[in-house]
Amino acid sequence: MNGLLGPDPAGTATTAVAALATIGTWAYLVGARRLFAVLQLLLAGLATGYLAVVAVHEVLLPRLVVPLAERPLDHLLLVPGGVLVAFLLASRWLPSRAVALPAAVLVGGTAAFAFGGAVLGTLLPQLAAAFPIPGSAPLDQATAVAGAVVTGLVALSFVHGLPAERRLARVALVGRWLLVAGIGGWLGFLVVSRLALVVDRIDFVLGSWLGLVP
Amino acid sequence: MTDRHSAPRPRRALLPLASVLLISAALIVPDQALSGLVRLDDPGGPAAGELRALIRSLPERPLLLVGFDPDLGTYAEIRPAVRAMLDDLFRHEARIGIVSFSPEGRALAVAEIDRLRRAGFEDDRLVDLGYRSGAEAGLIQTIELVVPDAERGLVANGIRIAGGGLDAFDMVLLVGGTDFGPRAWVEQILPRLPDLRLAAIAPTVLGPELAPYRRTRQLIALVATLRDNAAYVEMVRGGPAPPPDTSGGDRPADAAAMLVGLLVTLGILGETLLRRAAWRQPGPRS
Repeated sequence: MNGLLGPDPAGTATTAVAALATIGTWAYLVGARRLFAVLQLLLAGLATGYLAVVAVHEVLLPRLVVPLAERPLDHLLLVPGGVLVAFLLASRWLPSRAVALPAAVLVGGTAAFAFGGAVLGTLLPQLAAAFPIPGSAPLDQATAVAGAVVTGLVALSFVHGLPAERRLARVALVGRWLLVAGIGGWLGFLVVSRLALVVDRIDFVLGSWLGLVP
Repeated sequence: MTDRHSAPRPRRALLPLASVLLISAALIVPDQALSGLVRLDDPGGPAAGELRALIRSLPERPLLLVGFDPDLGTYAEIRPAVRAMLDDLFRHEARIGIVSFSPEGRALAVAEIDRLRRAGFEDDRLVDLGYRSGAEAGLIQTIELVVPDAERGLVANGIRIAGGGLDAFDMVLLVGGTDFGPRAWVEQILPRLPDLRLAAIAPTVLGPELAPYRRTRQLIALVATLRDNAAYVEMVRGGPAPPPDTSGGDRPADAAAMLVGLLVTLGILGETLLRRAAWRQPGPRS
């Protein structure tokens, strides 16, 4: 029972539609590709409609149109912002130089957020935590050293284009296998995660819809 | 779009169909029949206990922000733990604001807020802070102001009185997804508000990405595996019953069904490896 729908007739009908759509998706397993394609299109249509509603009702109207209409002088920055967006929307008909500025602002702003956050929020704190701290527990020190060694080996596996000295090549190979092991572990997490979703869907059909699960 | 070359032929559909039937059988068998044989929760794991202790350590009537950005693909995995967390918070008389930065998170937040309101939580306990566009940029904007101008009610006013921004909250609890998750909060908010306390519930697939943040205490609590999810749900349900129970009868993934599914997965993997080994052996092929 996911509890998202109430026990009223609308909730019951929605549960039935969701259960039938789930079974229709599973029909792909026995080769019913057309039904599967129809359900894919249904999902795509619903997602597109939802995104349009969110864009209009939660972004454009309350954050652009209404502020500009009610208190334009308080939101002067929205005007050049709107002009840049208009340039992007009309990029097909404008010369490329005219579109370069809003594109540069967009890419630069996104990159600045991502790069600054990655360095200040992840890289530096994680580097600091990776150094063995004198006086800390031996296990913590050993873990930190092992982490640094593994990081170094994996980093070496990414070295390309340099003259491949045999010893370095062997070390890089170890790093590559460590990387493969890491990716394998992550895929294991992924399998467990997806399996939980399958169990949840079967539980939904058998329990919430058919009432067979105790 | 479908790929007609990758679609399984009916003859080869027997295995997935048998898998679904086996998992169904494991779900239908009453839990009592398998009592003690398989458990999903990890009673000795520290992650669930840390989140529980953190919520218990909150001051009276705390003001909390829930950053609600799960995705449709993985929310089913963490849904029971998220609801247990909300139960836990309401049990501690928390005042909660819910905000989303991804469209999918917003869709799920609307559904959960509707569910909570049906369960009787009104504006004196809960405020819908809506959807903030702009991803990281929108997130940074909330440092100064997180309450929409039009929002009224006791919780909204409480946030305004406390400053109106993120530092008005005693803690931020993050419900993560693959589109927008705790990592964005750690990278964008903590460098700007280092004293803000962040805790997270995330799907298993994000576990490897987020675990280092727990080690550095940038996330002071993290529940990001199925076993920790189940342990946390058990912990909360083991306490005094919250008035009312908002879980909607939700429960973590069934342990027996998960075990059957894992065995089937291993069987498929083994069969594939054996077939590949046979293919590589020299000799005449039919």
